[in-house]
Amino acid sequence: MSSCAEQVTRLAQYPKMYEEKPLTIAVMPPINQTNFVEAKDYFYTTLYAPLCEKGYYVYSPMMTMEMFQSESAYDAEQFIEADLSQFRNVLGADAAMFTIIKSWKRNKIGGKLTAGVEYILRSTKTGETLYKREGLISVDTSVNSGGGGGLFGALVDMAATAIATAATDKVVAGRRCTVFVLSDMPEGKYGTKYDQDQNLPAGKSYVKATVK
Amino acid sequence: MKKFIISAVCVMAMASCQTQQSLYSWYDSEDAIYTYTKRGTEETLAKAMAQYEKVISKQKGLRKVVPPGVNAEYGYLLCKAGKKEEGLTLLRAEIKAYPESEKFISRIINQLEK
Repeated sequence: MSSCAEQVTRLAQYPKMYEEKPLTIAVMPPINQTNFVEAKDYFYTTLYAPLCEKGYYVYSPMMTMEMFQSESAYDAEQFIEADLSQFRNVLGADAAMFTIIKSWKRNKIGGKLTAGVEYILRSTKTGETLYKREGLISVDTSVNSGGGGGLFGALVDMAATAIATAATDKVVAGRRCTVFVLSDMPEGKYGTKYDQDQNLPAGKSYVKATVK
Repeated sequence: MKKFIISAVCVMAMASCQTQQSLYSWYDSEDAIYTYTKRGTEETLAKAMAQYEKVISKQKGLRKVVPPGVNAEYGYLLCKAGKKEEGLTLLRAEIKAYPESEKFISRIINQLEK
């Protein structure tokens, strides 16, 4: 109950999202601060569909990755605080989504994977941070969501149903983490609540949760 | 009994609405594409291409249109696999569906046409 009282609206939490109304997003290669080298690749692919589902135009990571690699931009560290106008000029991107993988841990018992990830969306026009949220999300990769699930249940389920049996559980876990953390991100042009979600509650800027 | 059946149907209808919140149908495309980018074999490419076909032809999401980037990505791969005309058509379809993609996609088209 007390958390309800403290809740802020999306407009109050992310005012610049509504000011700038970004439409096109370039997904930057994740910045991996963990010792698990492969986390970067696993995570890179999990950002695209959830952002599309939020109503944005997202450049194909497969195609931009080739460009980033040839322009030696595969290390996003150098851009996280730098001028982003080149992404606007070359791609036409309104914003760039940075992710910092802070922790990546697998519990030996029960198949649980815990990922600590920070999401930062920066404007290529003004350089301002439009959206920022961090999550420490434990994903039980052995169990399906099973529906219900309260506020974010439907969204998490949506991701769960999109998961192929062939997927590696690390990709699955990364995607669920992304869907969960970005659930309070204001929607883009193609979303059903575009420019109508100002008064919906924003989540806490640091969220800790277990997603089944 | 009738009431029970009606309410059961309502509950089921509502439940199916809840799971129908997705804007797009992705099928197994992400996983197939991920596997292809990791392994790069003929077999994984064929599987990825089958998924692109499905995403492009069977959209059951709220928007009933192909998701951003899919036409472009498939077109790009087709060009690389030697099916240039087919690929370029899809890349142009991306710009038509999403005019905001023009800057990037026309750059790719120019490179491929060289």
